[in-house]
Formats: sequence, structure tokens, C-alpha cells
Amino acid sequence: MVPRCQVEILYFAKSAEITGVRSETISVPQEIKALQLWNEIETRHPGLADVRNQVIFAVRQEYVELGDQLLLLHSGDEIAIIPPISGG
Amino acid sequence: LLKDMDKVEETSKDIIKFTAEKLSVDDVSQLVTSPLCGAISLFVGTTRNNFEGKKVISLEYEAYLPMAENEIRKICSDIRQKWPVKHIAVFHRLGLVPVSEASIIIAVSSAHRAASLEAVTYAIDTLKARVPIWKKELYEESSSSWKRNKECFWATNS
Repeated sequence: MVPRCQVEILYFAKSAEITGVRSETISVPQEIKALQLWNEIETRHPGLADVRNQVIFAVRQEYVELGDQLLLLHSGDEIAIIPPISGG
Repeated sequence: LLKDMDKVEETSKDIIKFTAEKLSVDDVSQLVTSPLCGAISLFVGTTRNNFEGKKVISLEYEAYLPMAENEIRKICSDIRQKWPVKHIAVFHRLGLVPVSEASIIIAVSSAHRAASLEAVTYAIDTLKARVPIWKKELYEESSSSWKRNKECFWATNS
């Protein structure tokens, strides 16, 4: 049985409009590939399929693409859904 | 007392601020002023009133705050590796920014002008590529649209 942990998912901009929430706590495996994590989140919010090809993660405030990278997560970690940025 | 004042002036500052209040070019410029510097370079980004034939009435900004601040700190650190600058200030407004008002002010001081001019260009270009801040255009016809910078280092296809 893969150990799990509670992480906080943060939604911004378009992704927050789609889900209707700014943040939520979910239970995920402590070791999970980035794309698998996205799939778990998309299962909860199917509308996010619309932005799947445009977003990137920020895991503990470091950018991670939605790909094969293995994430090592701890309870309380913050994972943000980052749509295409437009600052400045 | 004069010796203490010299010590205070030697410390280089990176001043980063996010605020919902109206930005002041004068205030930000004052923050980077130094008797050691002969140049202050500024970039001011303001809300434009049009996009693809639509009338824009306002921009609305949000940010992933702790990460945005950290990413700007990294930009300041990069700047200091590349150019001999004295003080750096980056102020970004959040919430509604009506037409012609400033959404961002970047100010850099240096002894001579080349360093601060180049550093300001680098700062705005890199901020647009990397810092988690988003703007929404609010149009006169009551619709709106989340924008995407062409500099954004991911999501090059729509």
C-alpha cells in the first residue's frame, strides 16, 4: 500500500473560475508522477480538461511540467495550478 | 555620524511590493535614489484601452503571492550577477487597474546609465516569462478574457 499524504491544491485565474474554488486539501500518494497528479485533480474537476495543455504545476513554489517527473510529496505541501501567466 | 551614513548607503536594496493601491512613479523612484548613482532607469506598464478591436475598460490582476515575490527576488539576484546596479524596486498592483493607470513600476539605480537601462529591460522581460501573476481584460461589452504573455515559458500553443 503506497503511503498517502494531505496536500493543498491552489487554483488561480482561469483554473479557479473552472473549479469554483481557490484551494482544497486532497489525499494523494507520497510518490506520484506529475501527470498522474493532474489526472487525479481533473477527475475531481472535469472542466479542467479545457486547460490541461496550457497549465503547469508549482510544487512547493517550483515549476513542474505535467509530465513524467516523480514528485515526492509531504503532508502540508502546496501544489498550485498555474495557467499561462500575464504579469506586467 | 558621517561614517554611519556611508555604511547605510552601501547596502544595496531589493524592494518588492504588491499592493491594491495606485502606484506612484515618484515614490518608487525615490526608493532607489542614491548619492552613489548617476542613473535611475524606470519601466512603467499601464493599462491600454484596446485589444483586437475591443474597448478595454480595465485590467484585473491576481498573483500567487509568496511565489511571485520569490520569483522576483530571483530576478533581482540575476540582475546583480549581470550588472553593477545599486538598488532595485519592483512594484506590482493587484485588483482593478483602469485605463492609463500603472500596473507595474520597475526602478533600478546604477552609477552609470548602461547597467540600469539593461537591468530594467531584463527585469520586465523575465517577469513576463516567469512570475505567477495573471491579468484579465474587462471589455466595455461586459465580457472578459484571461491574457497570456507571449514570453510565458510554457503553453506556447493555444
